[in-house]
Amino acid sequence: MSTTHFVSGTWNWNGKAAGVLATGLLLFGATASAHRIEKHFTVEPRAVITIHNPNGKIVVKAWTKHEVMVIANHASDRVEVTAEQTGNRVDLRTQQLSDTAAPDDLRADYEVSVPEDAELQIHDDSGEVSVTNVLGDMNVETVAAGVALEDAAGYLTVKTVGGSFQCVRCAGRLEVSSISGSFRLLDLRSYHVRAQTSTGNILFDGEFLPNGIYRLKNYSGVIEVRFSPGDSFDLSATSLKGSVNNEAKLTPPAHPQRLSSKFGYALGTFNAGRAKVELTSFDGTINVRKRN
Amino acid sequence: MPEADAIRLAQQGDAAAFERLYQLHNRRVYSLCLRMVGNTAEAEDLTQEAFLQLFRKISTFRGESAFSTWLHRLSVNVVLMRLRKKSAAETSLEEVTEPDEESGGPRRDFGAPDLRLSGSIDRLNLQRAVEQLPPGYKSVFVLHDVQGYEHNEIAEIMRCSIGNSKSQLHKARMRLRELLHEALRDKAREERKAAGGNLGAED
Amino acid sequence: MATIGCKDFPNYLEPWMEGDRHPDALAHLRDCPRCRSLVEDLKVIQATAQEWGRTESEPPAYLWNSLRAQLGQEGLIHQQGNQRGWLTGWLPSVPRPALAGAYLAAVIAVAFGLSGPVNQRINRARWLEGTQNSTMPLRAQFASAQMNATPLSLPDSNPTVTASLHNNLAIVDNYIVLCEKSVNEEPENELARDYLFEAYQQKADLLAQLSERGGDGR
Repeated sequence: MSTTHFVSGTWNWNGKAAGVLATGLLLFGATASAHRIEKHFTVEPRAVITIHNPNGKIVVKAWTKHEVMVIANHASDRVEVTAEQTGNRVDLRTQQLSDTAAPDDLRADYEVSVPEDAELQIHDDSGEVSVTNVLGDMNVETVAAGVALEDAAGYLTVKTVGGSFQCVRCAGRLEVSSISGSFRLLDLRSYHVRAQTSTGNILFDGEFLPNGIYRLKNYSGVIEVRFSPGDSFDLSATSLKGSVNNEAKLTPPAHPQRLSSKFGYALGTFNAGRAKVELTSFDGTINVRKRN
Repeated sequence: MPEADAIRLAQQGDAAAFERLYQLHNRRVYSLCLRMVGNTAEAEDLTQEAFLQLFRKISTFRGESAFSTWLHRLSVNVVLMRLRKKSAAETSLEEVTEPDEESGGPRRDFGAPDLRLSGSIDRLNLQRAVEQLPPGYKSVFVLHDVQGYEHNEIAEIMRCSIGNSKSQLHKARMRLRELLHEALRDKAREERKAAGGNLGAED
Repeated sequence: MATIGCKDFPNYLEPWMEGDRHPDALAHLRDCPRCRSLVEDLKVIQATAQEWGRTESEPPAYLWNSLRAQLGQEGLIHQQGNQRGWLTGWLPSVPRPALAGAYLAAVIAVAFGLSGPVNQRINRARWLEGTQNSTMPLRAQFASAQMNATPLSLPDSNPTVTASLHNNLAIVDNYIVLCEKSVNEEPENELARDYLFEAYQQKADLLAQLSERGGDGR
């Protein structure tokens, strides 16, 4: 279709202007598509996918195909996205091509679809990480990026410096640490939870599985766990310089520890004591609340 | 010359910088290779190959991980590729031949309680047993228990998850226990034979 | 508390070897010599491996010559010389901050070890002096590493990240001051010492991250 013909019905443009416009449109189209890549990789069960993206959003979802699909959009040509497969491992990486680029030019956003048994290793300094329905082991590290896991299972390790963490309906084993990030652990069915932050808050509202171990620790801030009358756990809650507010009726231990009266604490067994719950804070507040 | 400078200069092709990096890391890389393959000739070959690959690729190192982690990842890959070429079937970190792999748990085999390993094994026994491990187990065991890497470092080196590293390590130790017990039983049997007695039931 | 048998014990074994002492597993081990033997064997394997790891082998000298020749042949070595980058003078030779935490852990462990176990009577003054002395050189190292971790005049590709690292470093520094105060006031308080130790580890981690970003301008 002739560009001149296209514009002449509405505007009285001369041929040159129309040509420039058309060239500009074509260039824009070409540039826009050059900043987007889409790749597909066929994988075997328990594939390992690594994503290294210093700045931007990473969204990972599970699907039923034995395939990894990557759609990546990057802000400029100052970065490039590489996607390579070696055996049963797919490596996705954002490479910085210029030392003088502005931060916004270095952003790349990923949407990745993976088989549900995939193992993930994700590194994202700033932006956001979200993973849904993936059941393989996972290791996520960020600096300022927040992390959200939903319906994940396996051995989950998450480390942030300041990014927050939310985990909903996750199972398996969870280890999360941060300095100032806060954690929300909701509807968990994990048998082992270790969560540690310095100044963030921790909310745990999940199940205490028989023989499960739940260790929540912070320096300051609030640690809150919620329980139901049918739960069963041994509780050890200690705040060195803060307070412990406990609503669970505990049977005191047979051999009580001698603790300084300066500590806030609650020790004892709730029902049969099948799970182990350890809550520790330096000068924060620990709340053990009954669910309504 | 500090390592950071040596890396920068090596990226420009400076020979002294290459030598400095070699000096800083050759013992660790060589020890790793030697522990994985068990003989000096092959370990030397692998060490040379690891450093060659390192120096060929050094311009791509951008500092996203520690240099030593990057180097050791290269070295482990070089060793694993060699071990896989040698073994009949392709092996991977996850590949095991243990019957209860599907259950994800360790073998329920406790060994004879009267043959304890304490006081009976030394470095050489362990070395021989490690040589019999599948490549994936061997890598994680050597990196963690022998070389002292943490699981998060091993996960980065081996491109696996921390959970996987921990589980492989545990399986490696359990398998080593079986191998060491077998070796002890064989030794006890030979000693009995040598003593001229026929004291117990034979297998 | 639930009791477990030999059949279930292996499920507790992997976390046990990582330091997780589940009370059910502990109770079972008290009564079961077979499982105790299993745990003992695994510890012996671990200890023998560590001993093996302490001996590092050195490759023969000719290996470097052979390597260098190969590098020259491939054209990877362009020049021989003492040329140093302009940054060399700016980056003094300090151990990587990530290692400082490990050094600190070793020194504090020695200081605590020398001062005796906490359930014995502790000479408070001697303990305090011991820990102050053991941490002094490391504080100097941290301070130096902290200075060098700040990027020079190199472009910062992600100010959000750099700001987050610095802010969190300030949080941890504050946390260290408060923990040290607490440890000084109550040297027998294990929890306070645990927190202090963790704070140092966090600081070492952060410095390492800053240093890796600052060292090559990213």
